[in-house]
Amino acid sequence: MTKKSSSPKRIVLRILLYVVVIIVCIVTLYPYFAMFCTALKNRAEIFSMNGTILPITAVWSNFIDIWHRAPMANYMLNSLMIAGGSTIIAMLCGIPAAYALARMKFKGQTIFLGFVIVSQMFAPVVLLIGIYKVMSILSLTDSIIGLIFINAAFNQAFTIWLLRGTFIGISVEMEQAATIDGCNRLQGMTKVLLPVAAPGIVTTLIFIFINAWNEYTVALCLISTSEREPLTVGINVFNGYNMIEWQYLFAASLFAIVPVVILFMGIEKNLVSGLASGGVKG
Amino acid sequence: MKNKTFRKAEPYIWILPSIILMAVFILIPIIFVFRMSLSEVSKAGIIRGFSGFANFTKVMNSSAFKLVLRNTIVWTVAVVVLSTVLGFILALILNNEFRGRKIARAVMVFPWATTLVIQASAWKFIIDTDYGTLNTLLLRLGLIDQGINWTPTAEAYFTWEIACGIFVTIPFVTFCVLSGLQSIDTTYYEAATVDGANYWQQLFQITMPLVRSSLTVSTVLNIIYVFNSFPIIWTITKGDPANHTDTLVTYLYKLAFYNGKQGQAAAVSVIGFTILLICASVYMVYTLRKGDE
Repeated sequence: MTKKSSSPKRIVLRILLYVVVIIVCIVTLYPYFAMFCTALKNRAEIFSMNGTILPITAVWSNFIDIWHRAPMANYMLNSLMIAGGSTIIAMLCGIPAAYALARMKFKGQTIFLGFVIVSQMFAPVVLLIGIYKVMSILSLTDSIIGLIFINAAFNQAFTIWLLRGTFIGISVEMEQAATIDGCNRLQGMTKVLLPVAAPGIVTTLIFIFINAWNEYTVALCLISTSEREPLTVGINVFNGYNMIEWQYLFAASLFAIVPVVILFMGIEKNLVSGLASGGVKG
Repeated sequence: MKNKTFRKAEPYIWILPSIILMAVFILIPIIFVFRMSLSEVSKAGIIRGFSGFANFTKVMNSSAFKLVLRNTIVWTVAVVVLSTVLGFILALILNNEFRGRKIARAVMVFPWATTLVIQASAWKFIIDTDYGTLNTLLLRLGLIDQGINWTPTAEAYFTWEIACGIFVTIPFVTFCVLSGLQSIDTTYYEAATVDGANYWQQLFQITMPLVRSSLTVSTVLNIIYVFNSFPIIWTITKGDPANHTDTLVTYLYKLAFYNGKQGQAAAVSVIGFTILLICASVYMVYTLRKGDE
């Protein structure tokens, strides 16, 4: 009897599998490869008639030049503040809401959950005119604080969705035991539930951070002072109307991409199962 | 007595911060947009009074709007359908045990985690006719003799934008389906094999029904995201030439912030989310009903 793994059909399928996977990986990584190579070229090489794939000589100084050709440090700091601030506010508002939805019964629960889900349908870009008006009333146009609140608000749905799923998946018994020991609800949540829910919370946290870090449209519309721009908007100083400094644009882009890709790899598994199940559970 | 009132009110205290946050930054903007769509609005954004459906008729009668609406439908349907099909196939492939699977998964994270504006810039550079790396690569590989103009027409640009949209959307579908696939009990397949079911029978009779819920989640979210997607088109063409690559969101952005027609932009917003609401709910009702059968 032939072993299952060595039948000719299986071997062909295996080879086919590897070929497809390798092609997919190459195509997926190609834009990053192109960006990296271009970031290492000088201007003349990029625009030369005899284009090159790899840089003739790697101009590593491009990665340093961007820091004084544009307020990169400002952009970086702004992105950090926007992403960090949005995450904190989204969590501070989202954790109690998700807790109430997972652990309590109250009138209007379905309406609230319904609104949370429907709010997903309104991307900031379709509401920009309205958002702009609210921001003018609060005098938060052209301010990082304004962006923080908007990002936090538009990430509430995901926060609540993911956390509610996490909380429902955790048995209430421990919290009930804590209540008998004299803990109130708040203590029960912070001391018993949250430590157990830590993986789900970290996943949610990183996901919001990345969303806010990557946000472009609202920042483009609301921020008018160059020093307050986040990376996603700021790096476009290299993307001028007449002349695009591709080497700088991509060098700066890599600074915006690398941290979040690494963060994302860490949460990918938890995030997806959370997304797929959060809405179904309960 | 006091305790009882507190217990009744308690849940609302817990959800209050979230409600305030969403009310101020989502609900009020929604109300403003609806109000502005029905009002005469000055260039500075000041509401000058009720104007009925004047903004809507103006928008719908403009020649650009038909084109923009068509583009939006083509964009959304093409990106969602193709990325769902391709993402699904990729998930089936990645669900096999093979060496390097972890690396392949890690690679798939890249397009998902990258901000769209940068991904789109990279594509804009790659497809450039004069110095783009796609031409360079093909020339160096000896596949072509001279650079190809990848973007001779507005339609060609739009097609590239759709391709970029598909490229960035695939990973989300793949990961959603993968998580569904990995929760399927393998004994189903063993039993089916014993019964003599072939690969395709197993795919359609076992796999598809069991990943339907993950697929529904990813499709609904993708319809919303793709429909509302702004950065790819904005970065590559800004909707030019003459609205030929505009979708509703880039069109309304230009109306509001370039042309000072905020009332009409608000009308476009309202039309946009009406379409979206209908599509998403029809899709959800349809798939949920199918799932119940």
